[in-house]
Amino acid sequence: MIVCVNCGVELDEGMKVCPLCGNDPGKKVEKETDSHIYPSDIIQLQKKENKKYLWELSGIIAFSGIAGCTVIDLLISKELKWSLLSDVSILTAWIILTIYLFSNKRRWTIFTLLMLTTLAALFLIDLITTGREWFFPVGLPLAVTAFILAGIVIILYKRVNLKGLNIIASIFIAISGFCVVTEMVLDEYFKGAIDIRWSLIVSVSILPVALVLFFYHYRLKKGNRLDSFFHI
Amino acid sequence: MKAIKEKSYQERGWLALDNAAKLFPAIISEDLTSVFRITATLKAPVRYSAIKEAVEITSKRFPYFSVSLGSGIFWHFLEFNDQLPRIQVEEEIPCTAFAVKRISEPLYRVLIKNKRISVEFIHILTDGVGALEYLKSLLYTYMTLIGRKILSPGEIILPGMPISGDEFEDGYNKFFKKLPPPSKLVKAWHLPFRLNKKPRLRLICAEVNVNEMLEVSRKHKVSVTDYFASVYLFSLQKIFLLHGEKNKKEKREVLRLEVPVNMRNKFPSRTMRNFSLFVLPEVDMRLGTYTFEEIIRSVHHQMQISTDIKQISRFLSSNVSNEKLLIVRLMPLFIKKLVIAAIYRKLASKRWTGMVTNLGRVTLPEEMEELIDSFELIPPPPNKKVKIVSGVISYKEKLRICFCNTTQSRELERSIFKHLLDDGIHVKILNNY
Repeated sequence: MIVCVNCGVELDEGMKVCPLCGNDPGKKVEKETDSHIYPSDIIQLQKKENKKYLWELSGIIAFSGIAGCTVIDLLISKELKWSLLSDVSILTAWIILTIYLFSNKRRWTIFTLLMLTTLAALFLIDLITTGREWFFPVGLPLAVTAFILAGIVIILYKRVNLKGLNIIASIFIAISGFCVVTEMVLDEYFKGAIDIRWSLIVSVSILPVALVLFFYHYRLKKGNRLDSFFHI
Repeated sequence: MKAIKEKSYQERGWLALDNAAKLFPAIISEDLTSVFRITATLKAPVRYSAIKEAVEITSKRFPYFSVSLGSGIFWHFLEFNDQLPRIQVEEEIPCTAFAVKRISEPLYRVLIKNKRISVEFIHILTDGVGALEYLKSLLYTYMTLIGRKILSPGEIILPGMPISGDEFEDGYNKFFKKLPPPSKLVKAWHLPFRLNKKPRLRLICAEVNVNEMLEVSRKHKVSVTDYFASVYLFSLQKIFLLHGEKNKKEKREVLRLEVPVNMRNKFPSRTMRNFSLFVLPEVDMRLGTYTFEEIIRSVHHQMQISTDIKQISRFLSSNVSNEKLLIVRLMPLFIKKLVIAAIYRKLASKRWTGMVTNLGRVTLPEEMEELIDSFELIPPPPNKKVKIVSGVISYKEKLRICFCNTTQSRELERSIFKHLLDDGIHVKILNNY
């Protein structure tokens, strides 16, 4: 009589693998190295499958949309015009969804891939519309700035212990920084010289609000939670 | 006639969810799984080849369990498939969720470990009675396959028996008749204990001598369920008096138990699907504190009155009436699920403080009894409000009580077991989990 040391069931003579737990019946296996599917694993399997189904369905919808736009454009204009823009947009949205679904919540992988996808989409739109005119002087610096600022806010969010109004304050500061960079880039592109005006007004309006929020968060409430603060 | 009826159920290819089952798809999650377990511990290690074959044979006799959950526009439904339940190794944490959204995923499983054979069912399929019938049939087939001769199987459903249409029926709808609704309940008090981190569920199982328990119950002239429910309420009262004052905003001062009742004993039904309702014995702390004698007397009378067929029919009528409303029936499923989940959060979970589910005494043919040591019932994990629930089942001279506890406190179990010990009932805490 063979009794599996892992799951304790009795096996027929000559069985080298326990069909219940999938292991050598005479060798103790730690759960970490056990590849057998347990009841609780099925839910994870369901989540993986659901992701795959969602990806496949979104793929069908996205590529049908691309084909539809292209055909309609060809029929009406006899050449590819506006459909190129819609095709790039649909494809970008589908790639972003793919990144989200299959990056296993790895924050920085999602971040990097999102940045590269956005830059590629902007480059293609520039190429289609104006033939590589605004991407390098405007699109690239603005997109990179936006991603860098978003990255800084994410790092702060992860590093700070008491999350609350301080995060909203840091988002406000990032927005004012983005406005300044936007004005600088646009001035350089359109006028050839930098003359900071409206972004300064935005910053002067936003920064005191951010300071009040920091004060409220650190001096008065010691880390008010966002969900309790905004609950309806 | 019945054969035609049974055929029509399977030929149609799907079953509508019964009244009780309609709730679960809206509220189930990875924590609130609505899954319960019944375990039979044998006297020898389980033989894999025999149990595998037994599952194949037995499951064909219970076609209403070979279904998966489908979603329609207005309601969920159960779709017949040929899937056998998975045979898996028992895990440390019982009653884990079923992947109900997977295509053709079975909604029950057979778990094996050492000498233990367990079945886990999601409540969408059946209640404890249906699951126990399946387990008894599985054990019969298993024992036959390992060479045991069982001369008189009694009331066990045998593999070759014809499948009756009555086993498929929705008892709630069959016995529904419009009655005035039961009176509204005051919100029940909840245990104040802090929840465990996920996964929250912890088990404490104990074994007591059923004869000792019966003797004490008889002394009080009540049933075992009445006695145990009274001990439970008395222990809740102790905890309420200790902790109830701490949160003065809480106006809830009624301690109430949910005690499921097998409706097959009230109505002539042979259904293998859900057919149970519950009674709600309570003590109202606004009226003062109670001695154990006062509680047991009150619980006994409350149980007598509430389990009266006329009284319990009001609950059946009230539940089924809701699903029959035209506005409810025409509501799209995704809205219906949101509404059901919201109602459950707001009302249902606030109706009771704890739960005692007693599946009663398991009886088996003598030839089978010789090979089985004990039975165990683990109720579905409780929600975040109720926090602790208990399941009771007895077999021969052993009565097992299992607590599903999602909190960091063991105060309730300690108090209940201490009370049993003080009444002269020996309690052995088991080391299964």
